[in-house]
Amino acid sequence: MAVSQNMRVLIVDDEKTVRRFLKATLISHGYTVSEAVNGAEGLEYSVSAHPDVIILDLGLPDKDGIEVARQIRQRSQTPIIILSVRDDESDKIAALDAGADDYLTKPFNAGEMLARIRAVMRRLLPQRERSVCTVGKLSVDITRHSVEVKGRAVHLTPTEYDVLKLLVLNAGNVLTHGRILKEIWNKTDDFEEVMHLLRVTVSNLRNKIEPDPNRPIYVLTEPGIGYRLCDDQ
Amino acid sequence: MFSKVKTMKNKMAPYLVSIALVALTTFLGAFVRKTLEPANLVIFYLLIVVIIAVRWGKGPAIMASLLSVLAFDFFLVTPYLTFAVSDVQYMFTFTGLLIVGLVVSALASKTRQQAIEAAGREEQTAMLYRLSKDLAATDSLETVLDTIRMNVSQIFDCSAALFLQVEHTVTPSSVDSGFPINEHEKAIAAWTYENGKPAGWGTDTLPAAKAYYFPLKTSQGPLGVVGICFKESKKGIEPREEHLLSALASQTAVAIQRAKLAEVSRQMELVRQTEKLQAALLNSISHDLRTPLVSITGVLSGLLQDLSPLDSATRKELLETAYEESVHLNQLVGNLLDMTRIEAGTLKVRLSPCELRDVLGASLQVLKDKVEQRDIRIDIPSDLPEIPMDFTLMMRVLMNLVDNAVKYSASDTLIEITAKVLNDHMEIKIKDEGFGIPSQDLEHIFDKFYRALKPRQITGTGLGLSICRGIVEAHGGRILAENNLDKGATFTVSLPLARKED
Repeated sequence: MAVSQNMRVLIVDDEKTVRRFLKATLISHGYTVSEAVNGAEGLEYSVSAHPDVIILDLGLPDKDGIEVARQIRQRSQTPIIILSVRDDESDKIAALDAGADDYLTKPFNAGEMLARIRAVMRRLLPQRERSVCTVGKLSVDITRHSVEVKGRAVHLTPTEYDVLKLLVLNAGNVLTHGRILKEIWNKTDDFEEVMHLLRVTVSNLRNKIEPDPNRPIYVLTEPGIGYRLCDDQ
Repeated sequence: MFSKVKTMKNKMAPYLVSIALVALTTFLGAFVRKTLEPANLVIFYLLIVVIIAVRWGKGPAIMASLLSVLAFDFFLVTPYLTFAVSDVQYMFTFTGLLIVGLVVSALASKTRQQAIEAAGREEQTAMLYRLSKDLAATDSLETVLDTIRMNVSQIFDCSAALFLQVEHTVTPSSVDSGFPINEHEKAIAAWTYENGKPAGWGTDTLPAAKAYYFPLKTSQGPLGVVGICFKESKKGIEPREEHLLSALASQTAVAIQRAKLAEVSRQMELVRQTEKLQAALLNSISHDLRTPLVSITGVLSGLLQDLSPLDSATRKELLETAYEESVHLNQLVGNLLDMTRIEAGTLKVRLSPCELRDVLGASLQVLKDKVEQRDIRIDIPSDLPEIPMDFTLMMRVLMNLVDNAVKYSASDTLIEITAKVLNDHMEIKIKDEGFGIPSQDLEHIFDKFYRALKPRQITGTGLGLSICRGIVEAHGGRILAENNLDKGATFTVSLPLARKED
């Protein structure tokens, strides 16, 4: 658990039981925890408590969680993981667009939460330390521009490679459709038009790297939100 | 129609025709007065008096009798062209002609009157019959009211309105477009309702009103009021119109009463059904929500009290059970929420082009723990087109169907998922080799809270399939269940390839 040593996590949630569960889990995994019970406190502690990661509930009593995420992001690059309930895809996307790094849907299990925290922390590492990614039988080396499955080189088109590279650099983190379209196709509006291209690219990518493209284990779909490269095989 | 206004011209016509007929008889008589004994001509006068009496009634007939006597005397009895009479015998003929003429007119006109009344009664009966026939074909209070209103306006050639009792007064319930509905008219309708007597136009009560109001009563008391706004030219209400109206009113009152009772019983039935459904829901919830809670509470309290020293393997096993049950509980709550949304009509379907393969992959990813050990064969053509779907909702459908296939089949059997395009829709089939669906349950399987097999060890709320149906139908598609020829069941979801233009 080297990664979590002396890492500070700020929990912003008005539910006492949720804070208690998060706190206990995080402390037992070596994190230092501070708590905020509403948006105003969250904004304040996001500066004063110097957190390394912020866990932010979207349903806060005093402020809109999306707005809190936006304000935190204006001041710092501290990774933000939002907590949201089911069927709130549009809220999740809004929060991710506002600068949040990932999300967890309540109820979630502790393992999932710890994985998310590790993934968002990794984003802060310099790119060269993230340039080689091995998930199960898939291995992607960004400096050498190579992709291997079960040790055999796989040929990808430039777009497929770009999408995979973006996923690898953010391994474990969710990437919204909007973000991928912006980074790969340089599109900021008219998403509908290029969404088809993205779906086709991901589909082709899966055909080349997934053991069973019908049941992907590497490039996972986040329903209604985007894609995520699974990093814990 | 009764309201047809008899103009002066209409009233005068029979008299003029009578005069003409007498003149014609006299004219013809003038030709034969030499050859025929004048007394014989009397018979012709009597004939036309009878004809006139039957055709036009008493007035013209009496006039014709008098004219006949005068014309006979003046033109046909010597000396001609004077009322003087040479033969006194003719005085007897005149008197006879006059008396017979008058008696015949009276009798004939009475017969005519009776015929008219009979015809009127027949017309009235026909109208009432038509109304009752129309009413028999209605099923709701609303259509009953509209039928009555349309019949009334047709029978009386007027614009009509029906006012129905609401609490202690009446409110307009079915109104012709031409009916002058305003506060004043409503007040008169209310007066009619309260006093049980006709009021408004053509009556002594509030005659300044635009319309005539007649109460609708049943043996149980007043029900409402019918308002009739006649054409402007109408002078007043004839007794037989009032008579007809009263017959009509009692018939309509009964029909309204009946419709009201039917409405009440329908609502009672609805309440009863709702209560039954709620009871089923409560039963289902209390059982299915409590079952996972039993193990969660049990495990946690056991660990908390640390009553029996557990070895770590048992401890882990117990915790795993509790965790699985809490996941299950979350799923149940999710299903209940989905169902509530579908029922409340707040389920939003956001259609965007999706790859079925992707939706299925994501669904299986969620069900990972359940399907890992199962042999699931997927046959989806790589060139299957994208179709408009709500990704997360369609995931819910596939998850429910796959989860069912897993639950209702033995763990060593195969589950097949196939998809193909047929004409303008895509057909997705999920086939298992499980227990199948009892044939009597096939048509109910998508109903709420219906569970075909209810083995204790298989948990479920009986909501999954009705949620599936709700979602698939919201996509403009259909879902079907059938048993396979050999064993197990197949669920087929068919979805339109293109978004329906609406």
